[in-house]
Amino acid sequence: MNNRRSVIPGFGISLGITITILSIVVLIPLCSLVVFSAKLSLSEFVYTVTRPRILSGYFVSISTAFIASVVNVVMGLILAWILVRYDFKGKRFIDGIIELPFALPTAVAGISLTHLTTTNGWVGQIFYKLFGIKIAYTRIGITVALIFIGIPFVVRSVQPVLEKIDIQYEEAAFILGADSRTTFRKVIFPEILPAIISGFTLAFARSIGEYGSVVFIAGNTPYETEIAPLLIMSELQEYDYSAATSIALVMLGISVIILSINAVAQGIVSKRVNGKA
Amino acid sequence: MAYVELHDINKHFKKFHASKDINISIEKGKLVALLGPSGSGKTTILRMIAGLEQPDSGEIIIDGKVVNNVPGSERGIGFVFQNYALFRYMTVYDNIAFGLRVKKVPEDKIKERVTELLTLINCEGLEKRYPSQLSGGQKQRVAFARALAPNPQILLLDEPFAAIDAKVRLELRTWLRQMITKLNITSIFVTHDQDEAIEVADEIIVTNQGKVEQSGSPQELYKYPATPFVAQFIGNSVEVNNYDEFKHFDRKANSSVAYIRPEFVSVFKKGESVQFANSAEEAVVEDIIFRGSNIEIKARIHGNLLSAIRSINDNEIKVGEVVDLFIYRIYVVEDDHVILATNNSLVDETIVI
Amino acid sequence: MELRKENKVLKYVLVTISFIFLGVFLILPLIYIVITALKDGIAGYVNAVSDEYAIKAALLTIKATVFAVIVNTIFGISAAWLITKYAFKGKKILSTFIDLPVTVSPIIAGLIYVLTFGRQSSLYPILDSYGIQIIFAVPGIVLATIFVTFPFISRELIPVLTAQGSDEEEAAALMGAGTAKIFRKVTFPHIKWALLYGIVLCTARAMGEFGAVSVLSGHLRGKTNTLPLYIELLYQGYDFTGAFAASSILVVLAIVVLILRLVIEKRGQKELDLNK
Repeated sequence: MNNRRSVIPGFGISLGITITILSIVVLIPLCSLVVFSAKLSLSEFVYTVTRPRILSGYFVSISTAFIASVVNVVMGLILAWILVRYDFKGKRFIDGIIELPFALPTAVAGISLTHLTTTNGWVGQIFYKLFGIKIAYTRIGITVALIFIGIPFVVRSVQPVLEKIDIQYEEAAFILGADSRTTFRKVIFPEILPAIISGFTLAFARSIGEYGSVVFIAGNTPYETEIAPLLIMSELQEYDYSAATSIALVMLGISVIILSINAVAQGIVSKRVNGKA
Repeated sequence: MAYVELHDINKHFKKFHASKDINISIEKGKLVALLGPSGSGKTTILRMIAGLEQPDSGEIIIDGKVVNNVPGSERGIGFVFQNYALFRYMTVYDNIAFGLRVKKVPEDKIKERVTELLTLINCEGLEKRYPSQLSGGQKQRVAFARALAPNPQILLLDEPFAAIDAKVRLELRTWLRQMITKLNITSIFVTHDQDEAIEVADEIIVTNQGKVEQSGSPQELYKYPATPFVAQFIGNSVEVNNYDEFKHFDRKANSSVAYIRPEFVSVFKKGESVQFANSAEEAVVEDIIFRGSNIEIKARIHGNLLSAIRSINDNEIKVGEVVDLFIYRIYVVEDDHVILATNNSLVDETIVI
Repeated sequence: MELRKENKVLKYVLVTISFIFLGVFLILPLIYIVITALKDGIAGYVNAVSDEYAIKAALLTIKATVFAVIVNTIFGISAAWLITKYAFKGKKILSTFIDLPVTVSPIIAGLIYVLTFGRQSSLYPILDSYGIQIIFAVPGIVLATIFVTFPFISRELIPVLTAQGSDEEEAAALMGAGTAKIFRKVTFPHIKWALLYGIVLCTARAMGEFGAVSVLSGHLRGKTNTLPLYIELLYQGYDFTGAFAASSILVVLAIVVLILRLVIEKRGQKELDLNK
């Protein structure tokens, strides 16, 4: 609506401040990415991103991020459930500590997790001696770091939805004779599914791009534990901006796909519940 | 003399046509109700007068001046929001003083005015409270005082009683009417409740689907509905399609629908009425609703379920009983206007009542 | 009731799993940092923490954080106000752009600033003629920090302002109040806890940013090294005690942030309940 002017004054000034800061911080840099990308030659782009080492980097990033996010969905669901439904000692402590991965610098988490999981670290030696499993400097290590940074996402998106579910739905199911497993599957799960999906995709998208906590624990062996963001970093250190941008464009594409899948999934679910999108 | 006028106002919200060629004229000192179902555009009209919305076309005139381009704060209006919109982080005192402080009125004058208003609304001693510590009725009165504080020429109220319990609502209606009469301030309020409009307003403007259907005094509207919408909206009308089957009513050309109100119908036990012995028709009672001060009878006649009111003191009627039913008047819709048809036995001397 | 009994076993299982999971993944790393930091005794710890370069790195971190918080507060307030108080075209696109920075990998964030302000950029000669150096210098670090925390404050404010509605602002505007007065007297009291909450989150993330800052910093010890970068440097030089000592400062700050978060959330909730 063009002619709808609110009576609340201050439209001009807030628009001005918002657009100015947004332009400097986001829009102009984004434009320069577009401009720079347009200058890349297609053959060079394809050659760069299909190099085996780069492809392996994408594979390592996506596969570890996926596994870590699946683990976080399961654990996030359990954590959200106990925080909303149960009373127990230390509940407030758990509620507070869940946010730690947001508050603790990723590099700090990275070096600590690395030291804990090397073959002579506190946790690492147990796994190495008992099962012969190495954690640090393997893909398992990368996954561990990504689980760490992804913990809050699923919990924080499921928790508020679970809190809002009216206990009457469950009571209704119970009176109708459903056992608690059926009640969970048929009544509660559909309600929290959108939140689970959005928590998963947010954690997944964040994990794919994660750098700080992963570089230390990964060991960065080419074809084995080299993640895509690290590959961008090494190209940048060699001042090969074209290669760095090419790798980054593919990663941005992957992010867009993940976030679109989320948007579509949310649309489908909300359509089912509300009758329309 | 017209104080507030709207000329050919049109307003769209995206594709929704919220106001269609609105023409309104309100006299100084009148208490006017904008009455209509939800979505009929009544609140939009109020918000345009306040300057909260801009019309797409047409003129808004206050006191002879076109105010389309005058900001709401300079139109000399006070506005009471539906949910009061009291500033939740200010005390009652600060709420009422806000408009005066904006106008840079000296603090001692403000104190005088706020005290005066607190007395007027019977809220002395509440000035240090926050809105969350007030009852619904108190909130409403504080909102009223806040709107009045800068001495506006016009008071606009958006569904002023909607958020209040039924019992307090009745009290507040009377209170508000007395207040406004006492202050002699031109007031316009929006409501979807016809009882409220009829009881409180000097004049009612009925809106429907973005248009003004009719305006006039409550009595006029009640007695002479100008449009089919008003005929069925005001009063608890029952729609009847085969009204010509009723005894002593003729079919009018170009019409098919009629509306019958409970107060147009009398129900008698068989043989109870001598007066309408010949002109009444038989009906079967299907439902009896005890209303405390009276009794509503629902009786089936010619396939229609009509309502009638009987006094508590009348002889008792039971469900399933065959009764005599007499209809005094009906509203017949002819094309787009309404005519009042009276039972022929009451006008025609040749018919034996 | 049968329902309850069945849940009791389940409850203990789930709570135990949760404690073990969080214990291993969150608590153990914290304990490890503190213990390693103190391995060489208190003297060694104090020595590591009061190292000249450590202090310089900490100061740079504080500087970047303060800048990021100020810019994002101004931006967050005006963007949240704009989005919740007015109807205008392009609102959806605006929201998308505001949220974009957190979905982008920090390395890519660094990359786009390199592309914008680096030597190959057409902006470079202009900035260079004024003697402005952004890449591999402090302004780049500040910009990167602003970028990665960009939506943190607006994201906290928008839901609060949406829930509050615009009635109070409309009422104030109808009485003739101006923008500053409406914001200060009417809107600000509603958002103060959410704003503080957003500032805390923004601070936490700004202090700890590693990837984006790593790209844009020239890694000049004592000049463009923030605390996390300094930790990396020590770690790669096998000075583990130093690295963990420096880390322990950030651990303490993280715990302070978590406690503040809980306190603010509680205060805000209390006030919200009061004003229902």
